[in-house]
Amino acid sequence: MNALLTRFGRKAKPKNDDSYYTAGQMALIKARFKRKASGVIAAWVLGTIVFMGLFAPFFSPVDPTIRGADIEYRRGAPQVVKFWDENGFSLTPFTYTYTKTRSRIDLKALAGGGLSALDALTSSGALTASSQNKYDVDRVQRRYIQFFSKGWEYSLIDLSIGNLDMDIRWDRHLLGVGQGQLHLMGTDEDGKDVLSRTLHAVWITISIAIVALVVKLIVSLFVGGVSGYFGGRVDTIMMSITEAVRVIPPIPIYLACAVALSQLDLTSVQRYFAIALVIGALDFATLGRRLRTHILTERNQDYVLAAQLCGASTWRIIWRHLIPSFSSYIIVDTLINFPYVILAETSLSFLGLGLTEPVNSLGVLLQKAQDPDIQQNMLWQFSPVAVFVVLIMAFVFVGDALRDAADPYSEKK
Amino acid sequence: MIIQFLSDTWLLWVLLSIGGLLWWSGRDSQYFNYIFHRYQLALATLLIVSAVVFSLMDVLPGDCAEKYIAYKSTQGEMITQADIQAERVRMGLDKSLPERWGRWVTNLTLRGDLGFSCAKRQSVNLALGDRFWMSFMFCIAGLVFAYLIAVPFGILSAFTINKSWTDKNPQNSKGQQLVNSAFLSLQKLLDLTLRIISYLGLALPNFLLALTIILLYVFAGEAMPTGLFSDQWSNVPWFGSHGFETGKLYDFLGHIWLPIFVIGWSATALQLQTVRALVVDESNKLYVDAARARGVDGMALWAGYPVRHSISPLFNSIGFDFMRVFNDLPIVAVVIGLTDSAALLIEALAMTNDQELAAAILFLVALVVISMNFITDAVLAVIDPRVRKSVLGN
Repeated sequence: MNALLTRFGRKAKPKNDDSYYTAGQMALIKARFKRKASGVIAAWVLGTIVFMGLFAPFFSPVDPTIRGADIEYRRGAPQVVKFWDENGFSLTPFTYTYTKTRSRIDLKALAGGGLSALDALTSSGALTASSQNKYDVDRVQRRYIQFFSKGWEYSLIDLSIGNLDMDIRWDRHLLGVGQGQLHLMGTDEDGKDVLSRTLHAVWITISIAIVALVVKLIVSLFVGGVSGYFGGRVDTIMMSITEAVRVIPPIPIYLACAVALSQLDLTSVQRYFAIALVIGALDFATLGRRLRTHILTERNQDYVLAAQLCGASTWRIIWRHLIPSFSSYIIVDTLINFPYVILAETSLSFLGLGLTEPVNSLGVLLQKAQDPDIQQNMLWQFSPVAVFVVLIMAFVFVGDALRDAADPYSEKK
Repeated sequence: MIIQFLSDTWLLWVLLSIGGLLWWSGRDSQYFNYIFHRYQLALATLLIVSAVVFSLMDVLPGDCAEKYIAYKSTQGEMITQADIQAERVRMGLDKSLPERWGRWVTNLTLRGDLGFSCAKRQSVNLALGDRFWMSFMFCIAGLVFAYLIAVPFGILSAFTINKSWTDKNPQNSKGQQLVNSAFLSLQKLLDLTLRIISYLGLALPNFLLALTIILLYVFAGEAMPTGLFSDQWSNVPWFGSHGFETGKLYDFLGHIWLPIFVIGWSATALQLQTVRALVVDESNKLYVDAARARGVDGMALWAGYPVRHSISPLFNSIGFDFMRVFNDLPIVAVVIGLTDSAALLIEALAMTNDQELAAAILFLVALVVISMNFITDAVLAVIDPRVRKSVLGN
């Protein structure tokens, strides 16, 4: 109970023992972070989403690729999970049997070539988009939900390096039904399960962001480190280029690079890395400048002189002495930038220039929201939007709490 | 003859005379010396920007000659590879990238000529026309909207950050405590709502917000306020036979709020956080404690010390705020169906691969950002004593 109260900030009194004064920086950041309730809750939400994304095949009831598409249930509405209905209560949750109504189109009438028959068919509404969404619910035939049910085989953890085969495969899924497939968030035009697609998309989007941020970190460290350590003319040239890059709006530049990429004949994996590379490599201005300012002030410190006198090389001084003194800032800045990188990727995919169908990325799924047919007839395809907003919000909250925690002056005097 | 020469090179003379004037004034004034230095820096940055933009746009596939010839072939002419090559030589596209960039920059600095748009088959200046001003006004309106909301509420939010929900001051009477507590809770609640809204502003990207609003219109079964005018008013001139057309103005206002609101939305969220962080940062500093010890209290303390000091970094960032807003504009323009230069930019980048048009728009945006930075620096050096001291060194 006490620990819980401390966590929620009610009993956050500094301890009187020495542990506070001897604690390392990371321990202090961790302690301060835990005191902020909104940050902790957001971290749990974020952790859950990322974990579900990482093990998406286990959590998703249906194979998200075209192989798992439910041809019998295209454009299908979400299947509601219930515990009881007029036929009685059940401890195991269940869902009804959903079948699509096939609208019977009488093509024989058209065979005669009569235009009036064609007019009658069009005006009857049998061809409209909304009529294709109709389905029947068989309330008597219950389908009980099975936990850890057997389904399509997937690779749970793939650690194969070269010829070393360490691919752990499994075929159990968290949720499933005995007959047919379970579509908690409905299906899209091809019959692919929206929930499974969303879960798979989360990890793809986050991994793009990770690759982009690593690239960004390397480029910023290079620019900031070189510029700050050497100073003088090198600094002037590098900083004027950085200044110029900083005033150009980035999304049009990403667009130009994406268009150029689309000319090359890339596989979807290569394209994925290329986009992450572009987003990361062009975003060095802010972090690079901060690093440079930091190093400019730090490089005249005594410990740098000591390292120089010991005969350490320039690179060693930059990497082992100067940059670690700035590491907490770098980590926090990287986390804060996560949502922005994800937004950049989604913006590109939204315009159809980033990742494209059939890849599952949040941007690809969000792009569908533009379709008037989906806006009017398939609202369940908007559920990735909610997941996306929650994900970004969680990132923002965690980043904010972490920024406060990493600031040594944030504690009240 | 001379007039012809002057009118061909007017921009160069304007730039040179501004520089000369600043240099002349800077001989005995440290302030103008600083301004002259900043002017040189701005021009140098612009030069680098033009190089970066021009070389980046070169990655776009296809070139002018192919497009021009392709257009001709739709007119029924037979085209060979030699024709394309000849056209390339005529347009100077066979030259190397630095040479082409040099020509582009020379034309630009001599007479403000932004190049030739091959997809539109006219000069970029003509193709852009008023559209750049339209985007500019959108961004400025979005920024004003953002500042109007973010500055007062950000300050309020910073004001409540270290306050408790209830007033427990034993010096106040019970009734006083109750009233104060009610006020404090109200402020805290307002702060909480604002923070959630501002986080939502960061999490819900502009294009999704625009889509949501459009979706609401779809459900309500009303006409969407896309574009700038409805069909009924789009061809009516502002000054018709009955004098000024107020109906057109209402129609315009009924459409214009959507892009401004959508663009301003995430800018507001970001500004709210920035203002809050700046004011909180300043309010923790020692000079605030010193002022409090001297007996300055309440509104006078806040307005005179932390708020006043956090205004200048905010003012300084206007240029980059503009850049951020413009950054979002193209996607919003696609969703809402605008026809400004941001839409033109998307068209040039993604559909027609029109290198010079895209480069020109990006260059103009950078130009606006750099001029804004220049102006804010010049103004701040006058009004902010801290900057004045660091600049003028006394």
